[in-house]
Amino acid sequence: MARIRAILAALITAVGRDLKTVGSFSGNNLFVVSVVFLFLNDPGPFVALNAFIGLILFIPLSADPLRVLPPDRLAVWPLSTGERRLLRILSPWLNPVTWLIVSLAVWKHVTMGLWALAAGAFAIGFLLPSLPAARKGIWRHLPSFPGPLNHLIRKNLRETLSTLDFWCSAVVSAFCLGFRAAGLLPGAALLPMTIIVMLALSTYTQTLFGLDGDGGMTRYRLLPVPGWQILTAKDVPFLLVSALMTLPLAPAAGLAAALTALAMGHHASVTQHSHQVRWRFSSGVSFAASIFQVIVMSATAAAVHAIPLLVILCAGVYAWSTWWYGRLMEQQPL
Amino acid sequence: MISCRQLTKRFGAVTAVNSLSLEVAKGTICAFLGPNGAGKSTTVKMLSGLLAPTSGQASVCGFDVATQPLAVKRHIGVLPESLGLFDDLTIGEHLRLTAQIYGLGKQESHERIEQLLRVLGLSETRDTFAGYGSHGMRKKTAFAMALLPNPEVLFLDEPFEAIDPATSKIMRDLLVSAAARGITVFLTSHILPVVERIAHQFVMIRGGSLVWNSLAAELPRSLEDLYLELAEPPVLEELEWLASGQSWPRS
Repeated sequence: MARIRAILAALITAVGRDLKTVGSFSGNNLFVVSVVFLFLNDPGPFVALNAFIGLILFIPLSADPLRVLPPDRLAVWPLSTGERRLLRILSPWLNPVTWLIVSLAVWKHVTMGLWALAAGAFAIGFLLPSLPAARKGIWRHLPSFPGPLNHLIRKNLRETLSTLDFWCSAVVSAFCLGFRAAGLLPGAALLPMTIIVMLALSTYTQTLFGLDGDGGMTRYRLLPVPGWQILTAKDVPFLLVSALMTLPLAPAAGLAAALTALAMGHHASVTQHSHQVRWRFSSGVSFAASIFQVIVMSATAAAVHAIPLLVILCAGVYAWSTWWYGRLMEQQPL
Repeated sequence: MISCRQLTKRFGAVTAVNSLSLEVAKGTICAFLGPNGAGKSTTVKMLSGLLAPTSGQASVCGFDVATQPLAVKRHIGVLPESLGLFDDLTIGEHLRLTAQIYGLGKQESHERIEQLLRVLGLSETRDTFAGYGSHGMRKKTAFAMALLPNPEVLFLDEPFEAIDPATSKIMRDLLVSAAARGITVFLTSHILPVVERIAHQFVMIRGGSLVWNSLAAELPRSLEDLYLELAEPPVLEELEWLASGQSWPRS
């Protein structure tokens, strides 16, 4: 039993650290804005938005705690079959979501349907990482891009698609598309919904190199290409995803918001390398930076929605930012 | 081909590399040796244009590493300590990326990539994402990336560590053959018997300072003896508690 206790204690430490990475949503632009707007007189829609973020967070939160132990390490430890079974039974209880599911089951006010929804999402989160597709990379087959940066762009697209930011914006965008197809989305809602989609996506622009790992920056610096090209290879997937997500809404405003978010996000991406975790929300570098980015991005989107030609100005500012921070990147010590 | 004059790198109060001066001729395999933390990787980073020296000068292929880093990078191949691979690219995609970045033609890059994959035993795993590959597989990929553009100088940071003996031999043979064709190889390693077999020049540093620089023929004794004397004298201490029959209680 001492061995099981020791392993469970180690798991508690590791799971605690993992839960902190789940907390990354607190630095996400969408969350920052929805929290700010909760202080309005009628915060109703933003309560719903936070509940939506909670639902998106539910799946990664539901991960199996035992997965933090490397299987090879677990295999070499001198544990009996009984001890291994005990560990399998006890370890799920280290996840707070297990307790939540059990509490919901015994709480009389929760319907069977809601409990089944929560338990189903929990099961998905528990099983998803062990599926072969998840282990081998689900974005293996992506289209090729012209030019020598093809594989860098493909890699960066895979990174973009493995953040919860993308999935959150995809869900919002899909709902909007459905409502628009049914004629239920008024024209006045197009710009606000575009901004919400871009809020969900934009935090990633502050941490463009966050998923490249320790060796990633070394490889970028070894490539005989100028820094602006490396940044462009990072930005292209973001622009593509943004264009796709805002296509059913206000595409010009979406493009302006994306260019602005990138132009502003280059500073944090190049000067403050913050490590990010896959299948989590991107975490911004600071609350102030997030608010500033959100305000400028929203204002730009609104301006371009009114005067579409202003998008040229956004492109100019973006091009300058890419060149400037590309140069800065080349000069930074490793 | 590689030239350093009083090359120094300081990180705050710590001097990682102290007034390093050395010359490595074209077609030479130079083994750059020293204990962990001696400044080997910092030197490789400076010579490959990744890190600006605090003072002193260095040139590679005739280009100044501080003022012409991009030109240096076009003429060298590097196997960095961190390997520098992306989890989201497959082994094959890493090689194709390198070929495209260095402007190799389609046919030429296809032939080179296929040959490298075959020679290094990576053909079967070409579609494996680097993030899911073994350390040896990742190292071989980074090695192939260094060779692919046919560089004038190869910088290899610990190329033989975590590599199976057969691949290690293939890599040794490749390096010897490359040097014979005029490619300069600058490598760091802790596997002394391997580097003793292939290197033409030995450079040792300790605490960032040069303690030995000679051609292979000028070594006064075995490389290991010289290394243990100059670079890393071993700490001899017995672990008296290490004895058979006294393992942990199994209850």
